[in-house]
Amino acid sequence: MNFDFFKIAVQNLRSRSLRSWLTVLGIVIGIFLVISLLSLSEGLKESIMKELRMMGGDMIMVFPGDTSDMMTTMIGGVELKERDIESIRRARGVDVIIEMPWQGASVRHLQETKMSLIYGVDFQEALYVLHEDMGWDVREGELPRPGRREVMVGSLVPQDVFPDLEVGDSITIEGREFTVSGVLRSLGNREDDLAIPVDLPDFRDITGKREGTPVALVRIKEGYQANTVVENIERELEDSMVRRRDEDSPSFSVMTSETVTDMVEGIMGTLQIAVVAFASIAIVVGGIGIMNTMYTSVKERTKEIGILKAVGARRRHITSIFLFEAGIIGFIGGVGGVALGIILALLVENFLSGPGAMVQLEAYISIWLVVFGLAFSFIVGCLSGFLPARQAAKLEPVEALRYE
Amino acid sequence: MEKIIELKDVCKSYDLGKVKIDVLKNINLSISKRDFALILGPSGSGKSTLLNMVSCLDVPTKGNIFLEGEDVSKFSEDELAMVRGKKIGFVFQQFNLLTHLTALENVILPTVFQGVSREESEKRAKELLSSVGLEKRIKHRPMELSGGERQRVAIARSLTNNPEIIVADEPTGNVDSKTGKIIMDILTDLNKKGRTVIVVTHDTDLRKFSSRVIKIKDGEIEPEK
Repeated sequence: MNFDFFKIAVQNLRSRSLRSWLTVLGIVIGIFLVISLLSLSEGLKESIMKELRMMGGDMIMVFPGDTSDMMTTMIGGVELKERDIESIRRARGVDVIIEMPWQGASVRHLQETKMSLIYGVDFQEALYVLHEDMGWDVREGELPRPGRREVMVGSLVPQDVFPDLEVGDSITIEGREFTVSGVLRSLGNREDDLAIPVDLPDFRDITGKREGTPVALVRIKEGYQANTVVENIERELEDSMVRRRDEDSPSFSVMTSETVTDMVEGIMGTLQIAVVAFASIAIVVGGIGIMNTMYTSVKERTKEIGILKAVGARRRHITSIFLFEAGIIGFIGGVGGVALGIILALLVENFLSGPGAMVQLEAYISIWLVVFGLAFSFIVGCLSGFLPARQAAKLEPVEALRYE
Repeated sequence: MEKIIELKDVCKSYDLGKVKIDVLKNINLSISKRDFALILGPSGSGKSTLLNMVSCLDVPTKGNIFLEGEDVSKFSEDELAMVRGKKIGFVFQQFNLLTHLTALENVILPTVFQGVSREESEKRAKELLSSVGLEKRIKHRPMELSGGERQRVAIARSLTNNPEIIVADEPTGNVDSKTGKIIMDILTDLNKKGRTVIVVTHDTDLRKFSSRVIKIKDGEIEPEK
């Protein structure tokens, strides 16, 4: 029986195809926004989380500045200074401190010169920690040795940056020559895989900056609890700040990798809610469009409703026919929106994944996102159609039949 | 003969704010099974309103209507719809076919609300269409049919649920006299096969087809001769 209503609804829509398609378009735009923004923000979250997961649980991160305005800190270029590192070193339970400053630099291999991200890692003190605890390993060649002007390159450098690069080649970073000792395995995200880690003293030499790092990783000594060490580090940093009261002393954030994970999830969750909220405005507008079309349709088809009632249609039959129509508009809009949303997300991903790109982003399209988009649009359609359908069902058969 | 429809003291008035119009005034009327009744009256006489009462499209302001002994005057709209769907077939002056459905689909339409299976209703609809001589037109839409053909589709539609009563509102009003005769012959034939037929018209020429003439004027029924 419902199949017949569905057929009647489809035929009604087809008999007013231009208006139906325009109404569909309203929903397409809304769903398109939701799907593309959600898949991109989910992709961003995934890539951050993947990186965080690479770190074990017994790592602590120290950032300058408050976590409440992390963006300001990162963009403002606030860094941990040498004396801050010294303070951290004094804290009980600290085993190794890994400073990891980064910067763009011009890198030349043979005749090719490109801008690339380099970061400083202390080969003597820190590299083995990265190797043992964070899964850094070479795919080809060997890990570089300190003091030999050796570097390794990210896994994508030989294919995306310098296609002819091989282990043992020499590359020139800002005029200084280094030997490539090995190629890293993938670290899980493009940004890191396109970078070139150099020894920290060499990094200082290349950049001319004698101190400072935007983040420091701390490995905990065996037998200490992560949270205790976090407190110890905080205490040491605060003490040193008190001693330098006259100076402009920024605050610090000391976190275990778990805290960071929670925080990122929190931030991204909020971001996604905001994204959905804004895109929902577009969907609401689309829904109003459906409602408008359906009201017009009820008015135009008053006589038809009268005929249906005369031949035995009850209220719920009339309601079903109109709800089906509105639902179909919503659903088709959803199909279009999901398709366009995925296409846009893939285009953005493609656009952003070139070697020189600022942000590395992978669109994250799950089956649930698709199901959500389709179900949501169908529900919006039905909800928008509800009032017009009820109005249609309430028409008096005699009045409706008389309507011309 | 057994009464199929009975109206007792039926009044219908419309409240138009300041004025109240009494369209039907104390109508007492009964129609027997197998009657071919002609409700005859000039425009504005209340004949269409009377037809609405008889066909369960509307309920009276006062009085009672019995359909096969059951008082339908207090029925809800949905209950009336069920009664219409099962017991009454409609033929309208304007044909009132759904323009975007084919002849076949139009004839199937009343079964959709009765939960008849698709095969069953399609079989029935094809039979009905061929019984009115339209077996070659089943895939045509109303716009592709002549007035007479449309009215025959409408008659076929009125029969889909096999109702006992056929109600026709000016069935010959929009067709030429030759086609009008064909339509009336079909209705006469249906009457002969046992259905009660009620036709509303202002055309006195149609008297010759009927077994009974009910004249209405100014909302009142004139005594039958």
